[in-house]
Amino acid sequence: MTDKDAEFLKKLLVTFKMEADEHLKGMCSGLLDLEKGVAPEQRVELVENVFREAHSLKGAARAVNLVEIESLCQALESVFALVKKDVLPTSPGLFDLLQEALDLLTRILPDAGAERTQDAKALQRQLISRLEEAARGRSGESESRGNGGETKGRNGETEKNRNGESEKRGNGEEEQMEEVSPIPPLPDSPVQEVTPLLPLSDSPVQKVYIRVSTSRLTSLLLQSEEMLSAKLASSQRVLDMRTVGTIFGAWKKEWARVGPQVQELRSYGRGAGHEAVDRKRSLARLLDFLEWNNTVVTSLEARFTVEVKSAERDARALGSMVDNLLDDMKKVLMFPFSSLLEILPKIVRDLSRENGKKIDLTISGDEIEIDRRILEEMKDPLLHLVRNCIDHGIESSAERKAKGKPPRGTISVTVLPKDDKVELTISDDGGGIPLEDVRSALLESRTLSGDTVAELSNPELLNYVFQSGITTSPIITEISGRGLGLAIVREKVEKLGGTVSVETATDFGTTFRIVLPLTVATFRGILVRLGERLFVLPAMYVARVLRVKPEDVKSVESRETITLDGEPVAMARLASVLELPETNAGADAVVLLPMVLLAASGTRIAFTVDEILGELEVLLKGLGSQLSRVRNVAGATVLGNGQIAPILNVTDLLKSAVKIAAFSSLRSLDSATVSADRPRSVLVVEDSITTRTLLKNILESSGYAVVTAVDGADGFTRLKSGTFDIVVSDVDMPRMNGFELTAKIRADGKYGNLPVVLVTALASKEDRERGIDSGANAYIVKSSFDQSNLLEVMRKLI
Amino acid sequence: MNETDVERQRVLKARAAVLAREPEKSGAEGERIEIIEFLLADERYAIESVYIGEVYPLKNFTPLPCTPAFVLGVINMRGKILSVVDLRIFFDLPNRGLSDLNKVIILHDGGMEFGILADAIIAARWISRSSLFSSLPTLTEIRAEYLLGVTKERLVVLDGGKILSGPDIVVHEEV
Repeated sequence: MTDKDAEFLKKLLVTFKMEADEHLKGMCSGLLDLEKGVAPEQRVELVENVFREAHSLKGAARAVNLVEIESLCQALESVFALVKKDVLPTSPGLFDLLQEALDLLTRILPDAGAERTQDAKALQRQLISRLEEAARGRSGESESRGNGGETKGRNGETEKNRNGESEKRGNGEEEQMEEVSPIPPLPDSPVQEVTPLLPLSDSPVQKVYIRVSTSRLTSLLLQSEEMLSAKLASSQRVLDMRTVGTIFGAWKKEWARVGPQVQELRSYGRGAGHEAVDRKRSLARLLDFLEWNNTVVTSLEARFTVEVKSAERDARALGSMVDNLLDDMKKVLMFPFSSLLEILPKIVRDLSRENGKKIDLTISGDEIEIDRRILEEMKDPLLHLVRNCIDHGIESSAERKAKGKPPRGTISVTVLPKDDKVELTISDDGGGIPLEDVRSALLESRTLSGDTVAELSNPELLNYVFQSGITTSPIITEISGRGLGLAIVREKVEKLGGTVSVETATDFGTTFRIVLPLTVATFRGILVRLGERLFVLPAMYVARVLRVKPEDVKSVESRETITLDGEPVAMARLASVLELPETNAGADAVVLLPMVLLAASGTRIAFTVDEILGELEVLLKGLGSQLSRVRNVAGATVLGNGQIAPILNVTDLLKSAVKIAAFSSLRSLDSATVSADRPRSVLVVEDSITTRTLLKNILESSGYAVVTAVDGADGFTRLKSGTFDIVVSDVDMPRMNGFELTAKIRADGKYGNLPVVLVTALASKEDRERGIDSGANAYIVKSSFDQSNLLEVMRKLI
Repeated sequence: MNETDVERQRVLKARAAVLAREPEKSGAEGERIEIIEFLLADERYAIESVYIGEVYPLKNFTPLPCTPAFVLGVINMRGKILSVVDLRIFFDLPNRGLSDLNKVIILHDGGMEFGILADAIIAARWISRSSLFSSLPTLTEIRAEYLLGVTKERLVVLDGGKILSGPDIVVHEEV
């Protein structure tokens, strides 16, 4: 085969696998329904469907030359054909055999086309012969199972039938076109069906559906989400422009003040004599210029006002366009819950068999749609909860009978819309969670003192089942019981911005309620400041923002607490939890301490910050593949001005705060008092952001107040807007270099002796001389830079 | 032809000669690789260009709390957030004064992507893989596992693939 052919076959195989997956799911759910038992006319339809699915899969397998799958489907099809003709009665044994065959197909599909082991081939041959035997009228449950129902042999007829069927076929491909699974498969297949393809028939207006891979749609959604930053940026621009606009106001005021003087000057020019004429002429010129200036600035202002208005209009238009686009994009990626819940019937069937329990599953509300990414994330938690129901929840038939309950247990999965959220409940009618076992497990885990555990009320106790390491299962089974599962369920749900709770009643059952948001894209966040850094706290975890008087911070058991609504609440410093140097924002007198009360997983702690800047809409972005998981940081978002602000992970923060509290002793608030002296202030002029930050950090940690500038010109502007004790400047910078800046400082009488330290990569003697010539007080060469050296030089100069 | 034209011709000829020069002895045996040479804290290093996405001027970055020291922070690269690593700290190189570090070289391979700090990009050129010597222990402080080799001009060629796939570079920490 040439490379091209191989490539083509590979593509065909991808399409085939996708299609096969749908056929398999169709067969599987059809069989499950049949097994449950349905009305006769519905049964005919179901059998027909299952038969067609098998037939289509066979045809598709043949088209891509997958003989093995084809032969297995052939055997399945023969069985279905007989069931369809009502010559082969269905028995539990037959269903088991058929499910076994489907399982095998599901297993071999992903590697379809690859060479298979002898064992696998043998297994398949055995399965095919068992299917053939079943078709010949023998029990579906072969020797290996041995307790099957009986079916009378009708060998001749069956054989004839099979042959007849297989001859008729060969036009499988056309039939496949109508074969569609109404339920889109979830994550395993890259392309998913959105809606059933209707046969092109009578209805006059045909809706047309196309297949688009979810990865492509997801990338489209991500790009649309990017537009959000355009929206934020444009409203930021408008704000900036308004600020610029206020400058005109200041100018107007000044102009109005000099107006009389201008008039006065005009009259001053009147008089006689040669000198007066000359003076008059130049004065007139100057005055004309001033008038012209006035006109220009006034018209500039008018023009600018118009521009601001249109920028506002554009920002608004862009804003609503982006919102609409995002809304629609999100809807495109909304999937019905059925795509997640469709896996349950089979799992419940298989697991309840393994456990020797009789369990029915009811699902309702699965047509409700939700963001696909949420469904994907919910798969594991859902499976875990359902397994829990089977493993711990529902009792064995004997036990149930003894309690006077119906022998078959029921698990119900319900989806209900709830405002702009969705509630997913998973409940069973089993024995309930034994609360005393939770209590003893909690005692054993030693996370709480014995007295505290004894005092816990039932609902409080129940909350601990979500804590890792708490399990009530006396034996650890393969399915569950390691005490980790529910902790993971809660972590996943909370990561999605949802909540999970549990209710239980002895002998009546257990209900898990999960409330989920409909989309994941954006959420509200609280922007806070620590020193110069900005952080976003997801608003859903912010119970309150508050301001507390320093004297209201009390220490309880040598830990800081505040009182809220009469109850003590633990307090932590966000800066120290984030391992940042403690800042002292208020400097002189902190009147009220801004705090954010964070609550998650039943814990609440008030975190002090330097400032609470407001609430905003944020889009959570990952930190890139290298930062797979960072402690206390969930991701980042791009603010309107293009700056990045980290989004904090509240669950982590609460854990970290507890950890820190355990190790650190009380430190009173006033220990951070500022020394009486005003800190020396430094202007750092440097064009490289890394060096600028490094210098700033070095100087700040040595007690200097630091202002930075990005080049000489910026430096000179900043110099004029503040008071500085010393300037530390780079030499090689755009716009105005360090030599020029130094010369300019020296030329301006106002700064006279302001010390200037040049830090430079230029190490030659000439450069050094040039630096001294320009008037610098010290010249430090970067290649031999050493922070103690810089600090030493600075101490000498001021 | 006037004077400037003559001069122009001369310059163009000289350039053509440079361009036409046989690339460094196209060693019969051997795969050739393109490397990008860059300056990091006054030392010259090179990295295979297949691992380099682009070079980005570092205008701004946001430091992240609770990350190892070698993570400078994150940058906003056209809406995408990317981490930037300081290889000097990652490799435990001694601090050699102050340098600009205002360029970010974006490294990538399939799944992994991040930036590394650099002072300047010097050149791109082709070398033969077989012309690389294994490093001498005294030449560089960088651990041998991250080195592709050393050219005869003593240029240290880093193994981009190893840096990208090495387990140490990935930050994955729970509280």
